[in-house]
Parts: sequence; structure tokens; C-alpha cells
Amino acid sequence: MARDLLIVGLNHRTTPVALREQLAFPETALGAALGQLKSVPGVREAAILSTCNRIEVVACIAGEPADVGGGIEAFLAREREVERSAFAHHLYVHHGRDAVRHLFRVAASLDSMVVGEPQILGQMKNLYAEAASVGTSGLVLHKAFHRSFAVAKRVRTETGIASKAVSVASVAVDLTRTIFETLEDKTVMLVGAGKMSQLVARHLKARGAGDIVVTTRTFDHAVALAREFNGTPIPFERLAESLKLADIVIGSAGAADFLVGASVVQEVLRARKQRPMFFIDMAVPRNFDPAINDLDNVYLYDMDDLARTRAGNADEREREAVRAEAIVESEVERFCRWLDGLEVVPTIVALRSKIEAIRLSELEKALASLQDQAPRQRALLDALSSSIVNKILHAPLASLKREGAADQPDLAASVRRLFDLELPPPPDSQNSEEED
Amino acid sequence: MDLLLLKISLVAYLVAAVGLSLYLLSLRPAAYRMGTFGLATAFAAHGASILGRSLAAGHLAVTTEYEALSFFACLTVGVYLGVQLRYRLPAVGAVVAPLAFTVTLASFAFYAGVRELPPNLRSAWLPVHVTAAFLGNAVLALAFCVSLVYLFRERQLKAKRAGGLSSRLPSLEALDALNYRALAWGFPLLTLGIVTGALFAKHTWGRFWSWEEREIFSLITWILYAGLLEARMVIGWRGRRAATVTIVAFMVVLVSFMFGHMIFPGKHGGSFD
Repeated sequence: MARDLLIVGLNHRTTPVALREQLAFPETALGAALGQLKSVPGVREAAILSTCNRIEVVACIAGEPADVGGGIEAFLAREREVERSAFAHHLYVHHGRDAVRHLFRVAASLDSMVVGEPQILGQMKNLYAEAASVGTSGLVLHKAFHRSFAVAKRVRTETGIASKAVSVASVAVDLTRTIFETLEDKTVMLVGAGKMSQLVARHLKARGAGDIVVTTRTFDHAVALAREFNGTPIPFERLAESLKLADIVIGSAGAADFLVGASVVQEVLRARKQRPMFFIDMAVPRNFDPAINDLDNVYLYDMDDLARTRAGNADEREREAVRAEAIVESEVERFCRWLDGLEVVPTIVALRSKIEAIRLSELEKALASLQDQAPRQRALLDALSSSIVNKILHAPLASLKREGAADQPDLAASVRRLFDLELPPPPDSQNSEEED
Repeated sequence: MDLLLLKISLVAYLVAAVGLSLYLLSLRPAAYRMGTFGLATAFAAHGASILGRSLAAGHLAVTTEYEALSFFACLTVGVYLGVQLRYRLPAVGAVVAPLAFTVTLASFAFYAGVRELPPNLRSAWLPVHVTAAFLGNAVLALAFCVSLVYLFRERQLKAKRAGGLSSRLPSLEALDALNYRALAWGFPLLTLGIVTGALFAKHTWGRFWSWEEREIFSLITWILYAGLLEARMVIGWRGRRAATVTIVAFMVVLVSFMFGHMIFPGKHGGSFD
């Protein structure tokens, strides 16, 4: 009975959102569901990944994947009270290598709707912690999940996949980080109340931006928006003189002409002692004179520039994804080798001790029937029996130990059947290996 | 022996330069390890080479052109490695390593045997003067490297090419702050070097200043750096201009190192009469 990894699930690509909502496990129901899952025949260890984009059961199984998969499908229907026929054709089932690869790809955010988005890893860690706390995960899942976290970390640090923003708003936010080391002491100024510029301001605020200053043509709008951001409203007429407060200026006001010209910014810079400024022009027609970009210590990006940067990022992401897949592949190989070897060592130990027990009992019998028990004869018989046993065991043990051979787990299973060996239950250690 | 160690360090500098550049292009941790390990190895071998030569000579080995250049390159790498303990700056390392390689290679052009130190120079002033001046130059060399990275980054950003390599560099604000800090440390050291040099000269030759070419070059760089520091503190100069002046001032330092001795031999060129 070799151990195998099995994943039964569905995600944003295979399943419409309405169905995903029905099948998703509420956080509070997770513990009880895991307990039910463990009682599905063939399931030895189990965890549930349930996010808004995917519902997956990850299990370590003993038995035929198809049978156990059917059991898990029935479990989902029962537990979520959805007709099996309603979701069965959306399901994917992976086992063995494919399951390992899938798990690693999910953790590394290669399977996400927005590839490289970082949230999935945190969600997986929480969901795995749930399974660990109710005791449905064991040695294999522990290793599998912790490897997947390590893979995610490798992909994040060794490829540029996570650092490449793909929306215009996040490109703008990333750009502020290439200019400013920290946002904490920086003031953001909103000129106009465009939706996208509000989004950028919200992102900046989330990343620790200091003050938010708002100015719109209608002062009441500015007041309302400023309240939302916990910021300061400024009358539109005072835009130019207020500029010197701002490190990041986001424009989205409707205006036929440029609202801010290069000469104004030059004055402002002098007043600011040349502290750098970043103008993000999200208005069409533009709010800021492009000549501003030619000034020292000032950077100006308009919508076209942002879109071009985004397109470049998307290309780069694709290239980086290829490298990420290679990392995943090598880690899958490593994990599968570990899993294959998992039952080999206990098999070897069991085989040795069984044969040794036979030898010792037969030796005892022979010695008892011998009249004259000279120590020399005793030693001779002992040595003879040992030598026969070792010679016979040498070849089978050598093949069992041949690490990495494709048929290693099958061979171990055959040996167990031939010699009628029972394996001791694996230690269900939660902390046998720390995340590395 | 010291020459062999120097050759080892030269190879290691090259390895470090390749490793750190590869890292910036590919983000492979192996390349980063290769770069950092290469630089640390180079520094150790280089330091051992200088130490060996100093022990053989019985004084700090900085009295020939070769020794001066070699010591300077080694110190620069040492300063970078020190900073790198606190801040991870592979991009700056990718400039420091080739710089160290080039300067060390150039020092070979002046290679000569150990020179006896004339008795009139054996004074406690010598190590103080030399250490301050060289350490100052090494810190300013780091400022130079940081400024190069800054200018590259700034140009990319202005040209709306923010992706790829340049997204792996530190932010402009961080680079500018580092440049400022290097200047704030390097300039006092340089000043100390010049002052102790003058006192040393007074003690040895009876006059503070003799308008020797090395002294003139030092004065020029001192004025450039002083002006830059003043401009930064008072009128808030920063960014591209500050980086450009840092680079120009350091070029003068390099020129005085490389050619000063050849064109006008003086005390600093090794004739101590």
C-alpha cells in the first residue's frame, strides 16, 4: 500500500463563480469537514484549500486514486449540500507527480488568476494550519505543504514574477517605490477625484503613505473625499501654492489645458530644496505639462507611460514564469524521491528483523539438540547462520536501496507481500521538518 | 608570495564582477553567492598580500605607486563589504568589483620591489596620514559607485524604462541618501588626511605645503567635495547633480593616483629628497 498524493478540486478556470461560492467552505465549518474527510475510505491525511478562487481537497491516500477520488467527490456533495452532478464535470483530479506539481504551482501563485499575486500563500498557510490543528494532516502532507511554501519562496526571490505589477494602478504604485525608499514621510496629493487615482491613493495609503491632500474643482467633493482618506481638502485655486507639500501628485481632473506647468514646478522645487517629486497624470487630456519630466528630481508618468510599463511587465512576467516552472519541476522531483523512499527504509528494517528473528529461533533449537555445547561450536553455528542469512539478503537489500530507481516503491511493496511484512504506522510528527 | 596573492585576488575580483552582474540580470541566488564570496575572497587575498609586503618592508606598504593603488583598491572593497553587512546592495557591488579589478590591474603596471623607507619618514604621522587619506578616498570611491548606479537608474526612469534590470536596483532616494552618507564620512577623513599630511611635512621637511602635484590634486578634490557637501547642506543639491559632481571629483582622485606620479615625481611619487 504505497502512499500517494491526491488532489480533487476546482478553480476559477474550470468553474463559474456562482458554483464556487456554493462549494466554498466557511471558515467555521472547516474543522468539522476535515474530520468527515478523514473518514472517507482510503484517506490517510487530508487538508482543504478553500479560497474565493479554488476549492481543493489535498489528501494523502492509500488505495486506488479513482476510488478514493470518488469518495472525496461524494464527501463534497454531502458536506456542501450540492448535487454531485452539478459540479462533477468541473472537477480535476491529480495524483502522484501531477498532484505534487499542482500543489507547488498553487502555492507559488502560478495557478492564480493574477499570476504572482502574493495572497494565496498566506491563505494556504492558514488552511494548512487548520488541518494540522485538527490533526488530519500527517507526515506526508506536512512535508508536502512545507515544501510548497519553500517553493513559493524560491519562486518569489529567484524570479521576478511577483515584482511585476500588471494593473495600471499597481504599476503607478511600484514606480513610487523606485523613487522613494519609504512612503511614510511622503505626502500624496490628489488633483481631481478620478476613480483610478483614488485607487492609487488607496494603495499608497495601504503601503504607509503619510498625509493625503485632496483638491477638486468643487470644494465639497474635495471635503468628502478627504474625509474618506482621513486627509486634508484644499481649495482648487490654491493648487499651485500647495504643490510644495506634495511628494506624489496624482492628476485626474477634467481640464482642457495643463493645470500645472513646468515653470510652476521649478519654483516649487526650489521651495522644497529639490526634494524629489513624482507626478502621475491619469487624466486625458493631461493635467501636467510633459516638460515637467525634463526637470531635475522630478518624474512624470502619464497614462501612456504607465500602460507601456505595464505591457513590458507582462512580457517579463511570461519569461519569468518559464523559470518559475523549472523551479517547480525540480522541487517536484525532489519531493517524489522523498515520498518514494518513505516506505523503503521501514521495509528494509522489517525484512532484516524478521529474518534475524527466524535465524535466532532456529539457532536456539539447533543448539538445544546438540549434546556437547562447547563454546567453539556455538560460535561456529552462530557465524554460519549469520553468514548464510547475510549472503541471501545481500542482493535483495542492494536493489531495495538503489535510490531513485523508478520501481523502488513497487519493489518495496512486492518485498512486503512476499515476506508478509507489516510496517509500523508512520510517526505522525508535525514538526519533523521545519520549513526551509 | 605577495604577488601570487595579488593575482589570486585579481581573479576573484573578476569572478565577483561576473557573479554580481549575473545576479542582477537573472536573480539567481547562486550568482549572488558567487559574487559575494568572490569579493570576500578577493579582499582576503588582497589584504594578505598587502600585509605580507608590509611585514617584509617593516612599514605599511604604501610607498610605491603600485602599493598605493593596490592599497586603495583593497580598502574600497573593504568599505563596500562593511556597508554590505548592513545593506544588501548587489547593484553597487557590481560596480565596486570591476573598479577594484581595474585599479588592481593598473597597479601591476607600476609593480616594483619593496622600497626601504628613508629614516626621516619613520614617524607616527605616517600611518595616521596614510590611513586617513586612503580610507577617505575609499569611502569616496564607494560614493562614486553609488552615483553611477543612481545615474543609470535615474536615466531609465526619466526615459520611462522602469522594468527589467532597473527594477532590481535600490530606490533613488536610498541611493541618494547613501551617496550623502558616504560623502559625510569620506570628506572629514580626506580633510584629516590632508591636515595630518601637512603636519607630517612640517615635521619632516620643515614646511606644511610644497605645491607638489599630489598636494595640488588633493586640494582640487578637497575643494570639489567641500563644494558638493556645502551645496547639499545649504541649497539642497541632490540627485543627478550631486551624483555627477561625485563622479567628476572621484575621476580627479583616480587621475591623481594613476598619472600624478608618472608625470611629476615627488614625495608622494616616492622620491623623498
